[in-house]
Amino acid sequence: MKIIKLLAAMTALMLILAACTSDDDGATATDDDGAADTTEAVDLVQGGGERLAAVIAADVVVCGVNDGLPGFGVVGADGTYSGFDVDFCRVVAAGVLGDADKVEYKPLTADVRFTALQSGDIDVLIRNTTWTATRDGQEGATFLFTVFYDGQGMMVPASTGFTTLEDLADANICVLSGTTTELNLTAVFGARGIPFTGVVFEDNSLLQPAYEAGQCEAWTSDASQLAAFKSSIEGAGGEDQFIMAEIISKEPLGPVVSDGDTEWAQAVEWSVMATVQAWEFGLDSGNIGSYSGDNPNILNFIGTDNFDPGLGLPSDFAVQIVTQVGNYKEIFDAHIPAIGLSLEGSPNNIWTDGGLMYVPPYR
Amino acid sequence: MTTETQEPQRREVARPPFYRDVRVIRVVGQILAVVAVVGIGFWLTRNLFSNMNRLGISTSFNFLFGPTNTAIPFCDNCWVIPYQFRFDPRSPVWQMVLVGVKNTFLAAFFGIILASVMGLLVGISRLSENWLVARLATVYVEFFRNIPPLVIIIFFGAAVFTAGPFPILSESWEINFPATDNNLLIINNDKWGIPGFTSTGSLVVFWAILIIGVVVAAYVWRRRTKFFEQTGQPHHRVLWFTGVVLASLVLAYFVTGQPFDMSWPVISENRRRIDGGFIVNWGFMSIAGALGLYTASHIGEIIRGSILAVPNGQSEAANAVALSASQRYRYVVLPQATRIALPPTINQYLNLVKNTSLGTAVAYAEITSLTKTSVGNGRPAFQSFIIVMAVYLVFSLTISLVLNLVNRRMQLVSR
Amino acid sequence: MTTTAPAPPRQTRMDWARKNLFRSWWSGLITVILVPLIVYLAYLSLRFFFVTGQWDAVRVNLTLFMQGTFPRDEQWRLISQIMIFALAFGIGLGTNSAASQDRAEDAGLDYERGSIAGTLARMWSLVAFISLLLFFASTDDLGNFINPFLVVGGGLVMAAIGYQAHRFPRRIRRVGWLLTATFLVLGFQVVSGFDAGGWLPLSIIFGGAVYGAVPVDRFDSAWLRFALRLVAIAVVVLIVQAVYRAVDSPGIGWDKWSGLHLTLMVSAIAIVLAFPLGLLLALARRSTLPALRMMATVYIEVIRGVPLITLLFMGQFILGFLLPQGTVLSAITRAIAVMTLFSAAYIAEIVRGGLQALDKGQNEAGQALGMAPPPIMRRIILPQALTAVIPAMVGQFISLFKDSSLLSIIAILEFLGVRKIIHAQPDFRSVAFAETLVFVAIGYWAFAFAMSRESQRLERRLRVTR
Repeated sequence: MKIIKLLAAMTALMLILAACTSDDDGATATDDDGAADTTEAVDLVQGGGERLAAVIAADVVVCGVNDGLPGFGVVGADGTYSGFDVDFCRVVAAGVLGDADKVEYKPLTADVRFTALQSGDIDVLIRNTTWTATRDGQEGATFLFTVFYDGQGMMVPASTGFTTLEDLADANICVLSGTTTELNLTAVFGARGIPFTGVVFEDNSLLQPAYEAGQCEAWTSDASQLAAFKSSIEGAGGEDQFIMAEIISKEPLGPVVSDGDTEWAQAVEWSVMATVQAWEFGLDSGNIGSYSGDNPNILNFIGTDNFDPGLGLPSDFAVQIVTQVGNYKEIFDAHIPAIGLSLEGSPNNIWTDGGLMYVPPYR
Repeated sequence: MTTETQEPQRREVARPPFYRDVRVIRVVGQILAVVAVVGIGFWLTRNLFSNMNRLGISTSFNFLFGPTNTAIPFCDNCWVIPYQFRFDPRSPVWQMVLVGVKNTFLAAFFGIILASVMGLLVGISRLSENWLVARLATVYVEFFRNIPPLVIIIFFGAAVFTAGPFPILSESWEINFPATDNNLLIINNDKWGIPGFTSTGSLVVFWAILIIGVVVAAYVWRRRTKFFEQTGQPHHRVLWFTGVVLASLVLAYFVTGQPFDMSWPVISENRRRIDGGFIVNWGFMSIAGALGLYTASHIGEIIRGSILAVPNGQSEAANAVALSASQRYRYVVLPQATRIALPPTINQYLNLVKNTSLGTAVAYAEITSLTKTSVGNGRPAFQSFIIVMAVYLVFSLTISLVLNLVNRRMQLVSR
Repeated sequence: MTTTAPAPPRQTRMDWARKNLFRSWWSGLITVILVPLIVYLAYLSLRFFFVTGQWDAVRVNLTLFMQGTFPRDEQWRLISQIMIFALAFGIGLGTNSAASQDRAEDAGLDYERGSIAGTLARMWSLVAFISLLLFFASTDDLGNFINPFLVVGGGLVMAAIGYQAHRFPRRIRRVGWLLTATFLVLGFQVVSGFDAGGWLPLSIIFGGAVYGAVPVDRFDSAWLRFALRLVAIAVVVLIVQAVYRAVDSPGIGWDKWSGLHLTLMVSAIAIVLAFPLGLLLALARRSTLPALRMMATVYIEVIRGVPLITLLFMGQFILGFLLPQGTVLSAITRAIAVMTLFSAAYIAEIVRGGLQALDKGQNEAGQALGMAPPPIMRRIILPQALTAVIPAMVGQFISLFKDSSLLSIIAILEFLGVRKIIHAQPDFRSVAFAETLVFVAIGYWAFAFAMSRESQRLERRLRVTR
């Protein structure tokens, strides 16, 4: 008897629920979905622009960064962020909002960064993120101008005498979690048939002691990171380190935005590219304000006569960026040589000097 | 409301208006609650799927069959019973999940053993007559239980292995089995090797015979107990039980044609690997060790409390019938204390199992850290973590079930 | 008649040692083995603390550990918060001891009121930790505009001022509790801001106070009493709302908190939010309505069956997707939501334990008086059950406080997370890994130990009163 009652109640419940849901679908679906359809259509045709408008309205750029990556994103004792990636957050803020300090930094782990982008938690992700096809496609992310060409390297204590990957057969190799580094490692070693053990760590503060204690024979990461840790380990009186010549992957790092808003993507991309353009023009934070030549391209670039290519950026955005943050070379020199890498001969040099820093003309 | 339903017995029977009728309120209230909960659940699910579809994130579990593409640390000898496979980066994701489950189970198992032994030691030490021992146990308890397990795990890994006294793998300490060249123990700051077994054939029949043996042994145990109750002669049930199990072990081993062999750990020629034997890595030892010590501080308190909770009269009565101190503990105090201590202790075991999810701090490849890595490499987060939560739920519910069974048994005994 | 008790036999140190260290041969053996071991360990740790330890990483980053990336030019908010919280704790302490004194007087017992010095002695671990902070602060220029010594001294003074609440006459004892709650909220909002939306907590507190204080006893009609109370509450809420709307000064929301400040606040916020939820769940699980009971049981068992870290991952990866498109919750908000939902399940079990432990006679007595179930629950069962579970609740708070360290895994800069970023700084990239970890461990330990001591004390007192 009781069971029958229960069943009856359940059935009634199901019916009510079914009614509710069909109501939902019938009544509200037209409104909701209709609206969604139109916005989607707008997205496709005009590239949205909501994000750009939202950023301007909020008067702050929310920038996903790394808070523990030497040279790229570091928090100082005074609680302020600094580094190469962080400076590009400031570049975006200076370009879009005219004030490099209007940035809110969101520290992110490697695992969670794309979720943060997808859910709209951050406006732009500048966190040493490698541009790959899968990420471009599956993660709903749009990769913009590459600001740093890196490659994955391998570091070993110099005393071991290892010089090639083949020397590392059966070795423990320390690697940080959630990075392409880990996938590259597996792919490269797998392709060459070198057996190895990957030891995946959460962050450098856990990885480095293990590496220095010899729990891993080698440490693989982006070459820039290895250079940073090589210099600091040696500086702190540790063993001499050796970074292998072989670079096992391409790691183009740059800003990332969410799919579906081309206007915002353009604003970010051109802000970032302005630093390279300024470098090419020979403009830096010292002289851009007092430019007195008559090169029409430069005059356009610094916004004389209110030249506006329609990017949604103020006409003086380049001046703001370069005076407040600097041109690409200035940003590079402020952070990267300190971790032991030089601009000369690296792909990050300007194209006229044989590097890869080449931006479309601003006209 | 209760009063109103009782009153009609004296006055004439009249039903209250429906909105004050308890029977109506009960049904309506429940339906409303269920509708609210199901409605919210439905709304959330709908949002989830619409958001995932909008962003083009897969909502299927097909990713489980794609290649993992990453190596699992310390998994060069990664066997998972009953599926025997060698894990490599091309293995599908579901095998990675299995490896994770196995590693979680292993860490939890050894952690629980350590926690029980340490906890018992600490609990009894706290009641020691020796002032120094009691103090030391108190310091131990107050130290470990007031620091987050995550910090203890990092600490343990760093203090014992990273900064500890052990040499690196290529300079391992090798302790030989007396009078042979076989390694009994290989010790370094990365992985330890002890003798293990390798299977040389199918183990199905072997396991089947062993299980039957255990069942028979349990039956013998009960028979011996009854025998003791009826005749009062010593039952020796532990002896009997062990004997039967050992006999079935030997039987199974020879009947199935010696399906496994002793395997001794050996350091490989390039001195970078340990081959053979049973190998544990430092992540495993840190997790099991740190959680064992942490949980022991809680279990120690439980045991101390339970011993104190046994009424003094029991000890006095034991003294009165001239039991020695050890007899008093063994036959009077401990059985009663166990009954009090068991439920909270099992709860602590449950906490330990859940805390193994912090393996990521010492690069231990348990299910949570493997899944986290896999999600970071682009696998759908929702499905992945649903699987992880299901795994822990199975662990937890099993332990809860055991707890309930034990509780029921204990209660029966007490009456 | 004056008789002095015979003087107890003088116990020499040797007697003591014989009794406590060398009672039997094995006890002596253990002592002999342990003493050198302890001495060696003490030597090692002392050497680490005073000789080999490179504490610069901690010293230079002390502010970072305490407040993380909280904007330095808004530091006055944190200092005000410390002051106001100290005041609130002082008032709470004073009121509590006065209330105990009342009860003792009623029972005709002597009562010796605790002192601030006594409280500090009980919380020696916290005092030691703060002294450690002050020691580090005094040996290095932190770049703070307020001397940390002034902050600590100011906090003590505020607590002492607040403690004077014990002088309140007995009939306004409740005002002490009201002030405590009010200052706790104000202390919270001095950081998070007094913006127009922040009226709710104070409205609940004042509303609750007014609900009990409205003189409605002279009216016979239950409806009238209810209506009067409702009106009073509405008036209070409107006033509070109006004040907040008038002030409307935004502060620094919890999205920007970090360091030890975040650790403490996150656990406090989560436990406060989880309490009502846990209470409801406990009642639902004890309910006679099967559907309600089943749903509560499933929720509680599922949440308790999985580790917090998986739920936090779910919160980071999934929570954003569960809400309609465009709803953006910050990482910290999501973490707080998850910790609240998580603690609610545990609190529910604690409360359920308290309800179960209560004698059945309490309920029957209520029924015998002709009370309906809700008033029985509200006036008889819950007050007793909740008092009985206070120690367990403190225990839950401690474990939540410890669990908040997991936030570092999801890139939230709480106390443990700060350690990670320190080792990315150029100066400390390859040094002092042990020192920072030890410092963090000491910090957690000091707080958890002090709280667990308090909870043990509470437990003892409750056992005595019962």
